[in-house]
Amino acid sequence: MGKTKLPIDNSIRTLRAQHGEMTQQALADAIGVTRQTVIAIEARKYSPSLEVAFRIARVFDESLETVFQYTG
Amino acid sequence: MNAGFEEKSAWVQFGALVLVLGSYFFAATKMYSAGVYDIRAYVPVFSISVVLLVVTLIAGNIVAVATSKGDQSDERDRMIAWRSEYLSSWVLGVGIIGAICAMVFGINNVLVAHGLLASLLLSTLLCMGLRILFYRRGV
Repeated sequence: MGKTKLPIDNSIRTLRAQHGEMTQQALADAIGVTRQTVIAIEARKYSPSLEVAFRIARVFDESLETVFQYTG
Repeated sequence: MNAGFEEKSAWVQFGALVLVLGSYFFAATKMYSAGVYDIRAYVPVFSISVVLLVVTLIAGNIVAVATSKGDQSDERDRMIAWRSEYLSSWVLGVGIIGAICAMVFGINNVLVAHGLLASLLLSTLLCMGLRILFYRRGV
């Protein structure tokens, strides 16, 4: 089955690795979503709301632009 | 299967509806073909189907909960639910309008009732199918 690639790319996988190999479950718990949603965001199958995007940036102590890049 | 509770529940609902109500429609078609035109004759078979459907849904959702590590629904689940319901609700609408037209033209009650039930079934199947598609392919 083909997969949808949304136009918002992200560096979450890299940032997790830089933060002590943070697990997807740990990130999901920190931002209040399910692990499946973190997986979908990383795979560009779901664009998070602005609120969740800010929460992710805050967990990694980075700007929104560092975490998410618009490639459309 | 790397799926959360909501996706597993959609699979359970899809499977249970196809299996149980599909069987009911198979039986109802045979009854109608055999000349049963009294709607009350279908009530026992339909009642058994509803009970079976409820039992299947409860059992399936218990399994889905047990294998989902206490997942709570989040914004992605809500968006998928909203979008799939928005895209599938027209089927029920068409069924209702069709049933009203059928009543106006004096079509047999058995056909009207089953047309309505079929539109509800197809609408729900489309909704669950779209949910599964959105979970698998992205939304």
